[in-house]
Amino acid sequence: MKRSTKAGIVFLAILAAPILLPSLSVNFRSFDHPGYTRVVFEADRSFHFAVQNRPDRLEVRLQGRADFPASSLEVQNSQMLERVTHEVQGGESVFTVYFKGPTTVKKNFVLEKPFRVVFDLATSEKPAVSPRNDGAVSPRNDGAASPRNDGIDPPPSAPASTGKSSEPVIDNPPAAPARPKPIETICVDPGHGGEDLGAIGRSKLQEKSVTLKIGLKLKKLIESKTGLRVIMTRDKDSEVSLNTRASIANNQRAQMFISIHANSSFRKSAYGSETYFVSLQATDPESLELAQKENRNNEDPGEAIQSDELKMILWNMAQTEHIRESSKLAEYIQHELNELLGTRNRGVKQAPFRVLMRTAMPAVLIETVFISNANEEKKLQSEEFLDKIAFAIYNGVSKFIYYYNNLLQ
Amino acid sequence: MTKRARTILLASVAAAIILVAVLLLLLRKKPAGFEPELLNRTAGKGGAITEFIKVKLFFVTETSLYLQPVLREIEVPEIREELYKKFISLLLAGDSGHITPMPGGVQLRSLFYLDKKEMLVLDFNETLSASFPGGTTAELEFIYFMVDNICYNFREIKKVKFLIGGNESKTLAGHIDLEKPFYPNFAWLKDT
Repeated sequence: MKRSTKAGIVFLAILAAPILLPSLSVNFRSFDHPGYTRVVFEADRSFHFAVQNRPDRLEVRLQGRADFPASSLEVQNSQMLERVTHEVQGGESVFTVYFKGPTTVKKNFVLEKPFRVVFDLATSEKPAVSPRNDGAVSPRNDGAASPRNDGIDPPPSAPASTGKSSEPVIDNPPAAPARPKPIETICVDPGHGGEDLGAIGRSKLQEKSVTLKIGLKLKKLIESKTGLRVIMTRDKDSEVSLNTRASIANNQRAQMFISIHANSSFRKSAYGSETYFVSLQATDPESLELAQKENRNNEDPGEAIQSDELKMILWNMAQTEHIRESSKLAEYIQHELNELLGTRNRGVKQAPFRVLMRTAMPAVLIETVFISNANEEKKLQSEEFLDKIAFAIYNGVSKFIYYYNNLLQ
Repeated sequence: MTKRARTILLASVAAAIILVAVLLLLLRKKPAGFEPELLNRTAGKGGAITEFIKVKLFFVTETSLYLQPVLREIEVPEIREELYKKFISLLLAGDSGHITPMPGGVQLRSLFYLDKKEMLVLDFNETLSASFPGGTTAELEFIYFMVDNICYNFREIKKVKFLIGGNESKTLAGHIDLEKPFYPNFAWLKDT
């Protein structure tokens, strides 16, 4: 075959490709994480695209036609997103994600198998408008290496582009990462309440009333001695679900979560105090691995796993980023309980507490003493002893505040 | 270095490597778990063979933080899941002088083994949560009493998931997340 004939066939194939290829099928999903929202466009094959980020929306333009489940999709219960729309403009499919408030792209990267374009969005304090980004959509060439701009680089070990897909260009500066602030708000969580009585002692003392008393005493101590803001998951005898307790702390931007309980054992002789922070490995290494993979995607997308199951796992593991601080907080509190209560030191322990897993801040659960132990139940009936417990917790909390705030300097 | 010196050096290195290998072999940790011992086979009517195995159960005691071992025999049924059921019924029946860390009246509704996940799913009646006394320690005592006993005696089971009344339950009594399966924590057992 002559060289000119071959070149002609290749030229025709290139021209016909957009017609012969079936239209792209694109799915959209989003996940809320503490401090950011992840938006994912997933397709059945790779595609070329360009991105434009404005404070109120994110536009993703694809070459060619794309199928999308709806022309306009409301995003339910998202902390940052309002809706996503899809329209065809000329030879392009345009997806627009509208934000609830000023938002910027913190990170963005491409993943393979299946092909996904991922954006991590964070709220920006003030609208981040770059004078040179208005209307700038960067056309891309096949396989052409393109300079990144404005520091929105993919994580260092992002899978290499196949060359079929283009890297996005985002003409907008990234939001500065949220800087941890000195502790201002503490959430106190008196365990159980309402119809959930908690454990009950031999002389019918109920855990829910003990925890509420200690919680209110602790609130008073912290507020009067430090001036910090204390929010309570309950301040009366009411039933609050574990999810709601964690949500209250997360929504109020608490920087510390203290759950107060009285312990119970099948061994009636069991006694002493112990402080827990969450354990992730104890239950399910597979879930932990999944969550760690996804968490690593903040810096290293590697092999991403995107599913409703993962979303649940991540929700369950909001605590992962705070384990070290939680451990420190538990140590401080347990030390003070030992000093002041003079009961058996059962130590700092880890267990997969449902309420702790869902809190996005240093979080501990204190098992003050055993209500199932007759002697300790009797102590729990004394206001003086409850004062001691509250004071011990307060001491531990104040030492942690000193430690934590020093870390920030 | 002379040829003789080099030979001595090589021989010394080889001897050291062999010594380290032997030491590692001797000191290697035995895998956790217990291989149920086949006790005997008896021929029943019509020539059917019945097998018995010895299992090691661990119970809570008032005097120790660890679960204490008790040896028992079980007749091995043809279906594997029936063996697990017999084993669980031994746990539920308890042992005199020991504590069974669960409320009275708890019954196993059903169980099934998921081969691919190497997971045993236990479905208890609602008495388990309705009558549970509460307390973090009590929840952990129940969970690891079940999980450690099962995984210790049946190595093919790597994790255990709990259902209550046929459904997933968030917690037993407001503390430990019960929706995920549990891996054993043999630190609870006395002789491991």
